[in-house]
Amino acid sequence: MSDTVSITCTVNGEPVAADVPASTTLADFIREACGLTGTKIACGHAVCGACTIHLDGVPVASCSAYAFEADGSEIRTVEGLEDADGELDPVQAAFADLSAFQCGYCTSGMIMLARALLDRDPNPSGETIRKWLSSNICRCTGYEMIVEAVARAAEAANPGTMR
Amino acid sequence: MNESARLEVVGRPARRKDAREKVRGKAGYTTDISLPGMLHAKALRSAIAHARLVGIDASAARELPGVHAVLTGDGIGDDIAPTYGYFIKDQPIVALDKVRYEGDTVAAVAAETEAIADAALRLIKVEYEELPPVASIEDALSDGAAELFEEAPMGIVPAYGTGASAELRPRPNVCYRFNYETGSPDVFETCDHVFEDTFHFSRMQHFHLEPFAAVAQWLDGDRIEVSTSCQNPFALRKELGRVFKLPENSISVRVPFVGGGYGSKNNCKAEPIAILLARMTGRPVRFALTHDENFLTNTQHAAVLKLKTGVMNDGTLVARDSEIFLDSGAYSDASPLVAEKAGYRIPGPYRYRHIRTSCDCVMTNTAPAGPFRGFGGTQTSWACESQMDMIADRLGMDPLEFRMKNLIDLGEPFVPGESGMDSDLRAGLELVAREIGYHDRKKNPVPNRGVGLALGFKDGGGVNKPAQARIKVSTFGDIFLHCGTVEIGQGAHSALSAVVAEILGAPAGRVRYMPINTDHTPYDQGTNASSAISVMGQAVERAARSLRAQVLDFAADRLGAEPQDLDLEDWHIRKGNEALPLAPMIMGHFGGTGWEFTADGFHKAETDHSAPLETQCVFWELGWGAADIEVDPDTGLITVHKLVVSGDAGQAINPLVCRGQDEGAAIMGLGQALFEEMVYDGTRLMNGDAFAYRVPMAQDLPAEFVSITQEQGHGPGPFGAKGMGEGGMLPVAPAIANALFDATGVRVAALPLSPPRVKAALAKNS
Repeated sequence: MSDTVSITCTVNGEPVAADVPASTTLADFIREACGLTGTKIACGHAVCGACTIHLDGVPVASCSAYAFEADGSEIRTVEGLEDADGELDPVQAAFADLSAFQCGYCTSGMIMLARALLDRDPNPSGETIRKWLSSNICRCTGYEMIVEAVARAAEAANPGTMR
Repeated sequence: MNESARLEVVGRPARRKDAREKVRGKAGYTTDISLPGMLHAKALRSAIAHARLVGIDASAARELPGVHAVLTGDGIGDDIAPTYGYFIKDQPIVALDKVRYEGDTVAAVAAETEAIADAALRLIKVEYEELPPVASIEDALSDGAAELFEEAPMGIVPAYGTGASAELRPRPNVCYRFNYETGSPDVFETCDHVFEDTFHFSRMQHFHLEPFAAVAQWLDGDRIEVSTSCQNPFALRKELGRVFKLPENSISVRVPFVGGGYGSKNNCKAEPIAILLARMTGRPVRFALTHDENFLTNTQHAAVLKLKTGVMNDGTLVARDSEIFLDSGAYSDASPLVAEKAGYRIPGPYRYRHIRTSCDCVMTNTAPAGPFRGFGGTQTSWACESQMDMIADRLGMDPLEFRMKNLIDLGEPFVPGESGMDSDLRAGLELVAREIGYHDRKKNPVPNRGVGLALGFKDGGGVNKPAQARIKVSTFGDIFLHCGTVEIGQGAHSALSAVVAEILGAPAGRVRYMPINTDHTPYDQGTNASSAISVMGQAVERAARSLRAQVLDFAADRLGAEPQDLDLEDWHIRKGNEALPLAPMIMGHFGGTGWEFTADGFHKAETDHSAPLETQCVFWELGWGAADIEVDPDTGLITVHKLVVSGDAGQAINPLVCRGQDEGAAIMGLGQALFEEMVYDGTRLMNGDAFAYRVPMAQDLPAEFVSITQEQGHGPGPFGAKGMGEGGMLPVAPAIANALFDATGVRVAALPLSPPRVKAALAKNS
């Protein structure tokens, strides 16, 4: 159907080299070529953000990017957040502790979005958290508990510095 | 544990059982399944709303490299019943002789990849003979309207009890009508006032993020194994048995985690096509719809509700006569059940001397409507609670006082033959009124700012719903919980496991909720109607108590003691001050390989012909709501400054989960109130994708958003629990409409309360 492209990148720190059809989306590359199904495809139009991953540290809707755009890049997915001992990232821990998820289909994307926010702004205001989270859609929770979890994660990483 | 002891597991804000899997991206959904040799399916959808199918030429599609099968209606043989549905079997697997909406399934392809399947669809040529389209309820009921179904419906009317009845196809383009009546209509003659008002309710899409999806294969050529994103695997299995003419023990339905459903994932969706293509190709087939296709597959019911309410000068409600018309779309799906519920719930939780309702399922050439969180109760709460404020205003009464005067008392039956109200409705209403500042709202009035209240209401737990659960405990105290409640996000795994842990005196972590497979999992009718804790919870509770009794009897025998002198604590027998480990006792009796204790628990409401729906309601699900809003008169834009919602969990099994249910439901209700709507231009859906269809986002949260989980303790479930999950949605739209009236004196009786609609209403008034 289409030409093949060779992609060399790192995924969660591991080097990956693969040949895939040029039309392969980044989400399909991650899910199928790399076997990392934590990244979900939902709306398919870069609206809901369930497919959010980090491409060179930038949150990206992987359903609407091509795999070849990741050539030479560092990809980070939800599977790459915990440390080698299986210790959860503070964002993951806060989502788990505060029940900031229900069906879980948006959760990987929400966590990656929140991680990207805290990488840039370790002490975001509630308003900033709401603004950032408005990039993604959760149909289950009503958001309030997610906003609280992101604030908790920031607090856990920087005790006593919440704005 | 003895009964009076403090609860150890239940009531704690613990991490959910699925927390680690879900925050690590490790939770498995149907869409994640990949089998060796698996093919991918895609469906061709009609671009015409209403047409006779003249011919399909799929030859070019079949020849495309990578295509393994093309399914068209003429390829379905006599060995298959080609249509499915709940009460009425009217929806074809693929179109047979007609298409009935834009998006109707015309053909399906199985190919090596989704891309090849999509390319093959474009090669299929379909010849149609167009028929007049039926776009709306009004169209469908007009004289001479085209009929979606000319033949009599193939279906049944279930048994109803006192005062309730139903009929199939009472008139053209109406597939089902539900009726209920109690008391004499003569009392209307005695009323000081009779008010007649009409309300319009718009149609939402569920917007579940995991699409409809199924992965099917045939084993040994004559057995089906299907994994599916489904809310009711046993009902699905029964329907698949009918469609594929197979015994149910030749069909295994597996349900992994479900990525949201809100009602939509009941009964056949992606499964029949996946199964049929798997049979045609001899390969596993994955059929995952796109999110855009979700919009074309199942929706909420738009509705017109006409209320005639008789009342006395002092504000005493006397009688309600109502006519409801639901837009069912092109196929009946769950419409008859939704009609039954809408027709039954329209009185609201108030006392009357006479009630008469009818609810019609009106067929239109639009996407099929089905179950949606609230299940008719959202529509009826919108109309009922709007009219309550309208009547209060006409009588010169305070809306809160008017409600308080008429609310059903704790323990009072909803209607004759029904179960008693299991929440103190006034206490809940006063709670949200106080939280929103209702009593002080006139002290410092701000122009265009107002406060409104509403009380959403539905019967919960389903009708005549049986459930069975099985618990096994191994030698070392590892607990297996087998039950058919699907984890769809509501926290059922955690809640039901907590009930088991509490009763067996075990830490919650000892319970594993086993994967659902209809071959092994005990029967459950479906994960719907807020029934998990109220119905399955009772089955689980009985199984746990039975297992506990078995273990204590066993230990009493071994120890030469009386069971009532023993207690069970973390798989030790507590006898006075001694804690004796059970494992050595078990191996001492059963041998070194050990043993499993097993117990079943069952629950079903008693069949009761005096109850209008043949069984009494399991529990009453309430959503108390209050809104403080401001409207911009220039634009019609409503800003919700504060939203308060409250449900009654009876006893919260996990307060975090209860809070999440109420808040999620409330924000869905906020979307319904302010902007969400499937917009049709005639029969064409104009906003059927995530770009154009707006759902609430974090930025839409009200500045203040308060949810209060009441625990009034009157529920039928374990430890007094009631169901949750739908109630929080019900009061939001009417509370905001009532606040808009409080702010402006303008009543808007149609949803959503979007800026153009509100602006037009304000302009008309001034």
